[in-house]
Amino acid sequence: MGKDYILSLQGISKEFPGVKALDNVTIEVERGTIHGLVGENGAGKSTLIKVLAGIYQPNAGQILLEGQAQTFSSPIEARRAGISVVHQEIKLAEPLTVAENMFLGNILMKGRLVDWKGMRKRAREIVDDLGMDIDVNAQVSSLTVAKKQIVEIMHAINNNSKILIMDEPSAVLTNRELEVMFRIVRQLRERGITIIYISHRLNEVFDLCDNVSVLRDGKHIATKPIGELDRQSLINMMVGREMGQEYPKEPGTIGDTILKVEGLSRGFVRDISFEVKSGEVFGISGLVGAGRTELARAILGIDKPESGEIYVRGKKVHYHTFADAIRDGLGLIPEDRKLQGLVQIMSVERNTTLVNLKRVSQNGVLRKGLEKKLSAEYAQKLRVVTPSMDTQVQFLSGGNQQKVVIAKWLFQDADILFLDEPTRGIDVGAKAEIYRLIDQMVKDGKTIIMISSEMPELLGMCDRIMVMHEGRKMGELTAEEATQEKIMAMCV
Amino acid sequence: MSTQAGKTIKTFLKNWISLVGILLLIVVFSILSQMRFGAQYFLTLTNWKTILLQTSTVAIVALGQSIMLMTGNFDLSLGRMLCLVSCVGAVLMRNLGWPTIPAILVMFLIGIVVGSINGALVSYVRVPAMIATLGTQYICYGISKLITQAVPIPKVAEGFSWLGRGYILNNTIPVSVIIMLALYIAAQFITTKTRIGRSLYAVGGSREAAFFSGINVKRIQFGTFVLGGILATFGGLVLMARLGSVAVTNGENYEFDAVIGSIIGGVSLTGGKGYVLGTMFGCIFLNVLFNGFSQLGVDPFVQDVLKGIVLVLAVVLDVLSNRKKD
Repeated sequence: MGKDYILSLQGISKEFPGVKALDNVTIEVERGTIHGLVGENGAGKSTLIKVLAGIYQPNAGQILLEGQAQTFSSPIEARRAGISVVHQEIKLAEPLTVAENMFLGNILMKGRLVDWKGMRKRAREIVDDLGMDIDVNAQVSSLTVAKKQIVEIMHAINNNSKILIMDEPSAVLTNRELEVMFRIVRQLRERGITIIYISHRLNEVFDLCDNVSVLRDGKHIATKPIGELDRQSLINMMVGREMGQEYPKEPGTIGDTILKVEGLSRGFVRDISFEVKSGEVFGISGLVGAGRTELARAILGIDKPESGEIYVRGKKVHYHTFADAIRDGLGLIPEDRKLQGLVQIMSVERNTTLVNLKRVSQNGVLRKGLEKKLSAEYAQKLRVVTPSMDTQVQFLSGGNQQKVVIAKWLFQDADILFLDEPTRGIDVGAKAEIYRLIDQMVKDGKTIIMISSEMPELLGMCDRIMVMHEGRKMGELTAEEATQEKIMAMCV
Repeated sequence: MSTQAGKTIKTFLKNWISLVGILLLIVVFSILSQMRFGAQYFLTLTNWKTILLQTSTVAIVALGQSIMLMTGNFDLSLGRMLCLVSCVGAVLMRNLGWPTIPAILVMFLIGIVVGSINGALVSYVRVPAMIATLGTQYICYGISKLITQAVPIPKVAEGFSWLGRGYILNNTIPVSVIIMLALYIAAQFITTKTRIGRSLYAVGGSREAAFFSGINVKRIQFGTFVLGGILATFGGLVLMARLGSVAVTNGENYEFDAVIGSIIGGVSLTGGKGYVLGTMFGCIFLNVLFNGFSQLGVDPFVQDVLKGIVLVLAVVLDVLSNRKKD
C-alpha cells in the first residue's frame, strides 16, 4: 500500500435498541487529506462521528489512531488523543470572548492564576496565522455565524488536533463565507491536519475533498479518490438506486400576474419591485442576509412595510397580520423547519390541519373523523413516511418533516406559496421528492416563490430568478439566460 | 397487537396518573383507618363531601392556571387576585351596603382587569410571566390589606351562601363541587374538541410554529390570562360563600397549589401537553392526601413538607418522561 493512514476504522458496529446504526464499517483515512463523508440522512454519518468523538462507544470494531488501538470513553479522551469535532450547531460560550473560547477546557495558567495575557497573545497568533480579521477580545455573541464557526476551528487548532471533523459546516454559511472557510480548511491540510468533512452539498465535496467515503443504511459502501467519481455515480451510491432527473421541472401553464410588488421597503430592504405570474416558479437568489426572508415577511403581513404597494390578483392589499395573508390564499414554508414549520410535539395529523382547522370543524368544534381521513389523504399524496398519523413529527426525518410542512399548506389550499430554503439540511433522495412536489403544485395551478441559497436548485426549478443583495434588487433573469456565473456576478 | 395494547395502557397511565394515585390513596387510607380506629372514617360520604368541598375552590383557580401552563405560561398572582376581589366584594357589600349583584359584577370586572394587565405585560410587552405576575401578586395583596386594614370581614355572602354551602340531591353533593365539575367538563371539551383548544395546544407546543400557522399567538396568551382572572374571581366568590367571611388570607398559596395540582395532573411545565381534567384530579389527589394524614393524626406542619415532596416528585416524573424522547 505505502499509504500513510492516520486513522483506521475496523469493523465498527453500533447498535441501538431495534436499529443497527453502524454495521461493520471499515474506513481508512490518509494523513493530511480532506476526507469527505457522505450519505443520506439516517445513513449513519452522525453515529460514526459520535463514535470517533467518544460520545458513543461501538459495540464491535476498533479505532486505530496512528496505528494505536484507541478506546474513547468520553469526548475529553478523544480530544486529548487529537480528534476535534466542529458540530453543526455551534457550541461556544456566547458571553465569553473569542480568546476565552479558544482556550475553553484548556486554560493557560501562570502559577496558580489564569494567564490572560498569554492566552490573548496565542489567540492572536492563531487568528493572524489564518489571515482572519477577528478581534480576540470580542464577545462571541457579537460575531456572525461564519466567524463563530471559525472560532470553533481555531479552538480545535489550539488543541493541537490531528484530526478535525466538520459536521455540515456549510449549512449556515453564505457563499463568500464558504470560500473563506474552504481556504482555512485547505490551509489546515497543508499543515498536515487531517479533515473529515461531512456535507449534503455534493458540489463542496467535489471542490474540497481528496477522498470520499459513502455510507448507506449504516454500511460502508465505498471509499474512493474524488477523481474517480462523478456527481451522478456518487448520488447513485448514496441512494442505492439509479436516480432519475434531479430537477423534474416542466414548464407549467403560465397565466396572468398574480402577485405584484411595487417599491416595497422595510428595514434594510429597499425599493423592491417585481411581478409573479400564476403558475410560475419565481426564484429569489442572494446571499444569506440579502434581505430575502425579510422581503417575504413584509409581503405576508408578518412585518409592516414602511412604503410600497402590494397587489394580489390585481387587488391592492394591506395585510396587518400573517393570518390576513393566509386568508387571502398566501402561505409560507419558513426557513427553520424545526422551530417555525412544525409543532414538534404534535402529531403528523395535527400539524397537517393546523393552518386550516376550519376545514375540519363545524361551528368551532373539530370533526375528528374528518380530520383523520383528510390528513391521511394528504400524507399519502405526499408520501410522508411515518409509523402512524399519531406519531409526533419530531420523530420524522428532515425530509419527511418538510413534506408535512408542505402538506399543511396544500391542506390550506394556499395558491401563492413562499418557500424559504425548502431543502436545507435534507438529503439527496428527499430533495428530489420535494422538487417533484413543487413541480406538482405548479401543475395544479399554484404559484411558487422560492427563496434559496442553493443555486443549482434555483437554476433547475425556476422560470425566473430575482437576485438580491444587501436589501436591494440587483436584477432578474429568465430560466434561459440564468447561469451560476451571472447570478454570482449580481450578488457582489 | 399486545404491544399496541401495552402502549395504550402506558399512554393512559401517563395522562391520568393522578387518577390512579387517588385510587391508591383511597385503598391505603381506608385500610389504615380501619386498622387504627377499628372503623371506617376515611371512606365515608361525610368525609368525601369535605374533601371535594375543600378541593372545589382551589380547583376552580387551578383550571385557569393549567390552561396557562398548557400554553407555556403561568400566573403567580392568582391567589392574591382571588383575595383582592373577595376583599373588594366584602367591602362593597358589608361596609358600603351595595346590593349583591352589582358588587359581584365589580368583582369580576377587577378580575378581568388584573388578568388583562398580566396578559398585556406578558404577551404584548413581553415581560417574563414570573416577574409580571409576581408584581401584580404584591399589588393585589397590598390593596387587599389597605382596603380591609387586614381585619377579617365577617358575615359576607349571605345572599349567595348556597354557592359555597349548598347541596343538591338530598344533601349529598355540594353545589360548589357541581360547579367545579361543570367548569372542568366544559374546559376539557373546549381544549380537546374545538378549534380554539387546538390552537392553545399549538401555542404551548411551539409559539413560533403556531405563529407561522397563522394563529394569533399574542391574543391567545392574553386571553388565557384574562380567563385566569375570571376563574380566580369565581373561586373567590365560592370561597367567600363557603367561609362566610373574607380575610387577607383567602386564597393564600392558591397559585402554587394550582401549579402543583396541574403538574400532578399531567400538565407539563414545558407546555403543549396534558389535559385540564387531569388538573382536577391532581387537586383532588392533594386534598385526599392531606385529609388522610390529618385523620391519622399526622402533624399539620408536616403537610407543607409533603406538598413539596409531591411537587418535586411530579416534576421529576415530568422531566424524565420528556427526556426519554430526546
